[in-house]
Amino acid sequence: MGKGKPFLEVLASAIHEDFRFPFLELFAFLYTLGTFALANFTVGVYSQMATNEAVAYAVTTSLISFSLLIFLILVFKNIAYGLGNELEKGIIQTYFSYPLKRRAILTAKLLSGIGFSLLLFLGIQISAFYILAPDIVLPQFGTIVLTYAASLSYPLFLSAIILLLALKLRRGGIGLVVGFILYIAMSIVSGLVLIVATATKSPLVLQIMSFISPNYALQYHYGGLATVPELSLPWTPTLYEATLYVVGSYVIVAALFILGYTYFSRRLNL
Amino acid sequence: MKRWATILGRGGTTLIAISLALLLVSLIPQIQMMSSEGSGRLPPGGMQILFYQQNLNPQQELEVAVTADGPLTVYLLEINIELEFSPNTGFVQRFNETDLQQILQENRDLIIWEDTVENGDYKRSYTPTRIMNATAVLYNQLDSESVYVEHDVALKSSLAPGDKVRTIAYFAVPIGVILMIPWLVNMWKERKQSQTPSAIL
Repeated sequence: MGKGKPFLEVLASAIHEDFRFPFLELFAFLYTLGTFALANFTVGVYSQMATNEAVAYAVTTSLISFSLLIFLILVFKNIAYGLGNELEKGIIQTYFSYPLKRRAILTAKLLSGIGFSLLLFLGIQISAFYILAPDIVLPQFGTIVLTYAASLSYPLFLSAIILLLALKLRRGGIGLVVGFILYIAMSIVSGLVLIVATATKSPLVLQIMSFISPNYALQYHYGGLATVPELSLPWTPTLYEATLYVVGSYVIVAALFILGYTYFSRRLNL
Repeated sequence: MKRWATILGRGGTTLIAISLALLLVSLIPQIQMMSSEGSGRLPPGGMQILFYQQNLNPQQELEVAVTADGPLTVYLLEINIELEFSPNTGFVQRFNETDLQQILQENRDLIIWEDTVENGDYKRSYTPTRIMNATAVLYNQLDSESVYVEHDVALKSSLAPGDKVRTIAYFAVPIGVILMIPWLVNMWKERKQSQTPSAIL
């Protein structure tokens, strides 16, 4: 028997656990409703000088906002609660009977918990965007992909932290609570960063924060916050710089996931 | 076989869930943002601007209804009309018959509609697929007679183009139901099997 089949067995089992009826349906419903309900095509048109790229960025951001929260809830459910519970109850040990390395088991769990959720999120979002405005999606596809990449970096960063917490705490309930506290704390920090940057008129804290949430850099690149005089800063990153922040943030996310893999493969005593 | 039935079945239920969300979105009523009515006589070669807006977006629908007692043409153009201020007349639209003729001859790619209204009623709606300028114009050809026109223009706003979303939902629900059937049959068989021993006991 090759390694592919046991991996698919574990993946199928993980998907079955993470998306028991009617969770998949419920989240698909919420993604669809949230995407359409909060789509706002007027956001990009306040400025007469708004470029097509800025309009595509603003519209994409409005489409993503609510669905990202649903995506995070789904990740909390699957990783903090789901994986945490499996570690707590010893269910994860049953997977060790398969001829698979630990990292393959974790990959299957992450593909189910995060990958499948991400697939559902992107599938519904891009289809909805195409239904609403095909003539924005096709010509500005690059901008839209960059906006999705920038917007998803922060939730993936949180997902990686939640994974590390779940592996460390090995408890479903407490992992969920700590995950939510972390999310709220990070939201407060994000708000404070903006206040500090505008109060000091220095973009330094925003530039640092952009390595975790590169959406700030993209927002300032497209002049989204520059239209609000109180939030304007002497910082207009170029597209190249904004893309570098996106790449940098994914390097951090990848490093955190590698840390999770290393911990699960070598340090986690089960 | 059973696994495929489950995968397809869950795909079907997900499709139904998405369709229900789309139907719900399409049921949310439109908000009328603007409406204007008017009537009058349009001389040969005359033009009347019915509507103009910068940044008409995919969540808005423009509805144009015209009743005329003679032939005339309704144009929807992808242009922005600028206003010019004059102390005597106030704001005046900087768009006239010459500008229209120039578009008709040189910039035909700016024409979204070019519909001829023969004696009677005309009604058409438009939802853009991107953010764009839009101007609706009535034009009476030079070689025709004076025409009496009544017009009603409305701009409505909604979450999504209702017809489009509803059509997708109407197609997706039956597909979802068909995909679900083998899964439901399997579940029913399993339940029946699990109930049989207890019924004997």
